[in-house]
Amino acid sequence: MSASSRQATDKRQPYRLPGGLIDRSQPLRARFDGKDIGGFAGDTLASALLANGIRLVGRSFKYHRPRGVMTAGPEEPNALVELRTGARREPNSRATTTELFEGLEASSQNRWPSLRFDVLSLNSLLAPLFTAGFYYKTFMWPASFWERVYEPLIRRAAGLGRASGESDPDHYEQAFAFCDVLIIGSGPAGLAAARTAARSGARVILCELDFAFGGRLLADDRQIDGMPGHVWAQSVIDELRSMSNVRLMPRTCVFGVYDGGTYGAVERVNDHLPEPPPYQPRQRLWRIVAKRAVLAGGAIERPVVFAGNDRPGVMMASAMRSYVNRFAVTPGQRIALFTNNDDGWRTAKTLTTRGVEIAAVIDTRLELPDHLSAACAGSRVIKGGQVTATSGAHGLRAITVTTREGAETIAADALAMSGGWNPDVSLTCHHGARPVWNEDIAAFVPKSAPPGVTVAGAANGKMLLSGCLVEGSEAGGAAAADAGFTVTASSPPPVDDESCAITPMWHVSGWHVNGGKAFVDFQNDVTAADIALAAREGFRSVEHLKRYTTLGMATDQGKTSNVNGLAIMAVLTGESIPATGTTTYRPPHSPIAIGALAGHHRGAEFRPFRLTPSHQWAQEQNAVFVETGPWLRAQCFPRGGEAGWFETVQREVRTVRSAVGFCDVSTLGKIDVHGPDAGVFLDRLYINTFSTLPVGRARYGVMLREDGIAFDDGTTSRLADDRYFMTTTTANAGRVYQHMQFCHQVLWPELDVQFVSATDEWAQFSVAGPRSRETLQKFIDAPLSIANADFPYMGVAECTVCGGTPARLYRLSFSGELAYEIGVPTRYGDALARALMQAGEEFGIAPYGTEALGVMRIEKGHVAGNELDGRTTADDLGLGRMMSAKKDFIGRVMSTRPGLCDAHRPKLVGLRARDPAQRLYAGAHLLPIGAALTADNDEGVITSVAFSPSLNHWVGLALLARGPQRLGQTVMMVDFMRDAFHEVEVCSPVFVDPQGERLRV
Amino acid sequence: MSDLVLTPSSALDRVLVPGHYGAEAETPGVTISEHTDLALASVMARRGKTSELAARVKERFAIDLPMTPRRAAGGPIHFIWAGPGRWLAAALHQSPVTFEGDLRGALAGLASVTSQSDGRTIIRIGGPKARKALAKGVPLDLDPRAFGPDDTAMTIVAHINVHLWQCDATPTYDFAVFRSFAGSFCEWLLDASAEFGVTVHGADLQHQS
Repeated sequence: MSASSRQATDKRQPYRLPGGLIDRSQPLRARFDGKDIGGFAGDTLASALLANGIRLVGRSFKYHRPRGVMTAGPEEPNALVELRTGARREPNSRATTTELFEGLEASSQNRWPSLRFDVLSLNSLLAPLFTAGFYYKTFMWPASFWERVYEPLIRRAAGLGRASGESDPDHYEQAFAFCDVLIIGSGPAGLAAARTAARSGARVILCELDFAFGGRLLADDRQIDGMPGHVWAQSVIDELRSMSNVRLMPRTCVFGVYDGGTYGAVERVNDHLPEPPPYQPRQRLWRIVAKRAVLAGGAIERPVVFAGNDRPGVMMASAMRSYVNRFAVTPGQRIALFTNNDDGWRTAKTLTTRGVEIAAVIDTRLELPDHLSAACAGSRVIKGGQVTATSGAHGLRAITVTTREGAETIAADALAMSGGWNPDVSLTCHHGARPVWNEDIAAFVPKSAPPGVTVAGAANGKMLLSGCLVEGSEAGGAAAADAGFTVTASSPPPVDDESCAITPMWHVSGWHVNGGKAFVDFQNDVTAADIALAAREGFRSVEHLKRYTTLGMATDQGKTSNVNGLAIMAVLTGESIPATGTTTYRPPHSPIAIGALAGHHRGAEFRPFRLTPSHQWAQEQNAVFVETGPWLRAQCFPRGGEAGWFETVQREVRTVRSAVGFCDVSTLGKIDVHGPDAGVFLDRLYINTFSTLPVGRARYGVMLREDGIAFDDGTTSRLADDRYFMTTTTANAGRVYQHMQFCHQVLWPELDVQFVSATDEWAQFSVAGPRSRETLQKFIDAPLSIANADFPYMGVAECTVCGGTPARLYRLSFSGELAYEIGVPTRYGDALARALMQAGEEFGIAPYGTEALGVMRIEKGHVAGNELDGRTTADDLGLGRMMSAKKDFIGRVMSTRPGLCDAHRPKLVGLRARDPAQRLYAGAHLLPIGAALTADNDEGVITSVAFSPSLNHWVGLALLARGPQRLGQTVMMVDFMRDAFHEVEVCSPVFVDPQGERLRV
Repeated sequence: MSDLVLTPSSALDRVLVPGHYGAEAETPGVTISEHTDLALASVMARRGKTSELAARVKERFAIDLPMTPRRAAGGPIHFIWAGPGRWLAAALHQSPVTFEGDLRGALAGLASVTSQSDGRTIIRIGGPKARKALAKGVPLDLDPRAFGPDDTAMTIVAHINVHLWQCDATPTYDFAVFRSFAGSFCEWLLDASAEFGVTVHGADLQHQS
């Protein structure tokens, strides 16, 4: 660097060069490990660190070796930092993709007490312990140590960075986008594709994970159409931006290819700001649906595996061009280049052009075309050379170069390395394809792509700019044409001269190398020696190699390491590289914040709630709510002076049994079943008969699954010859409706029946208790009479209430008391709750919740979800007599299977403790008195229990082997969880009003 | 008969309170209102009666019954496609009971009719940024090239089933949501719209279609 150019730069940015694509009118300040650093808009954190002369940015995962910036992109394995502070602290942020912003705070990871002096770097001395398979070999014995000793130890030592431990204060969201042609990547191929597709009028989305469009054109000093590459790129972007059919999406990483032309992408909307502006998300997860896609994601340069290749200052050759050309930063003052291919020489050319001193250009090849060295005339060129060692405590000071003539040490503070390029094939493999080996470029290229995807440019192994532009334009045109648009062909723009010849060099090894770690996977600290060890120990399949050594298992998913690793394995096993193969590529292509996947759905909005018609009123009554499926239901309505829910529930039950109470039962699934064949349809769904049900009556029904197991129950009313109104349990509403759709569409399409959900149409309240008739009489309009004789048990009527409001009245009882269910259009539900309170006040009315509902149904021996548990038959539940023998129905045949008819099956009974003071526990098992307390002697299980305010002791429902034949016998309740063991008496499950007199008065 | 009075209420009384929400904006990017004055009913063709039903609907309501996901109008009444052989019929300024009864009478023997006036909450969404806000949950292409006035679709938004149709080209959309889910739906909607600035109008400011 000349003295004059250095003077032009900020003194605190000693490595800043003139020029570049940064905005010098916008200086920015940031902090790294508490130290101020300067930069400009357009910098990344990595380029700013380098500009400020900071080469040591982190410690490695296992050996705590000093590490610096190695790449300039998302493949970065080394420069991982904790970004931001407090609740926004984000570990493992790649400095190379982190846009610099004013006030950015970052700190290094995996070091203690400081980055320069890190105690755990002593791990390097223990390296023999940390080789491949270390965990498997070391933490084997004794087994009891695993949970208490080994795992905590490993967890403390392992991992990079620290999570904030606080709730993420930012908001994330999800969004959908649709287009004719999706272009992934905005390098030369992507831009050419986008322009051709957009000019056809197709709707185009162009996704670029960088904040700037242009890909390698921003980093390489190339000429297109007589102008610098980045200028050409800007001209294309300007054109695209002016078109209404194009959406440009910078900062957007397409991370996965899914079925039906769906692509997953994350847009880092506000990651480049200290905090998102109000109401703006931090990141947005996109599902992009595209008729066609062009994948132009480019290629990733390969490191060379040589001893000491991880020393800060050793960097990818292409990354060095990015820093010099795009960010106007030189990574060193005297730079060496180590390459095995023509493309690496571009870095020498760039450094020459920018006046940076070149220590030497070392090419592993003996024969080189003249044009390569001509571009960096005056620099020392070493043909047939290899870098065999590096030195420098916290950053590179010198390299050792070995040729046939011998070894030589060359002073250099930075080393560019290029081992060739790997097309980024990841997205092409998301539908299961494997890439194929291309000998010409010594890399895997896509063999095929997911449906609708075309791969273009470097991602497809086209390593020359001219080829990228041609292939990109063709792919964009073909994609638009496939989507139905007319494409006008245009000739590709001319570019400057180029070449990309390569002679592979996977691992610098042999007699001339004196040891020293040669890293393959920098982020997981996997060395060439680890791969050799895996080969020796038989872990030769690439999938075994990966898991044994952890190669490619870090957050970078092996973007820089996988191909080198398997190529070294291929050499060791004598197999070819294609025969060795690659591991599996899976989404996501790059790490994604969990918050982005959750989007809106976190905290209280984790999932939607269904609210009952009386929800607002119940809130005013201080109801306690419980989640029942998607619904929020009132569990109980505590009143002042009540010690707890138990007391509240007892009071609610007593109110119903002695006066009147009401409960919102709108959550029951309600289905209108219409049509001439509605009755036949219901006959086939339920075990009992509905076609004979008279109009104006309701009937309880049970339906089975196809396999003969009880599925659901509920009441169905007949409102007209061709209109039924059926109800399901709250929990099964959706499943029953699906089941009905299946039965009608697939099994019996010949039936003329129509049905639709009416759950939300009706607010329905159970009004129960001896005073319920008196309460409801105040509502019912003439001419309906609800006197017992006129409107008996199981009666149903369509009527009006309160002077003309439409309503339905059903005389149904779940509580066992005189009871009704009243339904009104839901808009009147809130008002009905208030009116019931008013009308029932003189009788002492009170609302009751699901808890009291449960107590009363247990007192009456009614089965519910606890008993309808997917294992019980109708007969098990005491409902076998309902099964009609006169007709066929779903589940009839299978219900006669021997196993389901076994006389020893557990069947429904009631239970009460021999000592009335003892409580019963749901989930407890039942064993014969005196039997050993083992599973072999298990005879049943308690399914539901409640303290009965009517009987003043605990009652329970149970499924007990041969239960109905054992009434009066004593069995043992066994509950190891709650340490409860006492004698219980088997009894009828109906504890209250066994004759059912109360509900018929 | 008694002095008890039942006053109707909305599922959104506490969720959609008129006012301005989210980012400050001269013109709100998104406008939201509940459309309450709409009687609704499910109309389901009896087996094999679809063409006779179409003829009857044409005769009685002067509406070409849509056989694809479209909405068709005849005066204040709309028929909105809701699946093969199914429609949601909507009528402005009609009592739900009358509408259900009239439909049942007019279509007797040809279709089954069930009132949905209370089963669905209709949320009307408009404003210059409506499409951008809706893209945060509606998994459908609402671009004018793909979805225009009188197009309809049934889909899932924020885990909630919705039936939506486009009312006009400005664009305005109606979202029919199961009433019990309306609160959660509007929480999502307000969240999605906040960055554009939202105005919530009182129910039924607009009575056009």
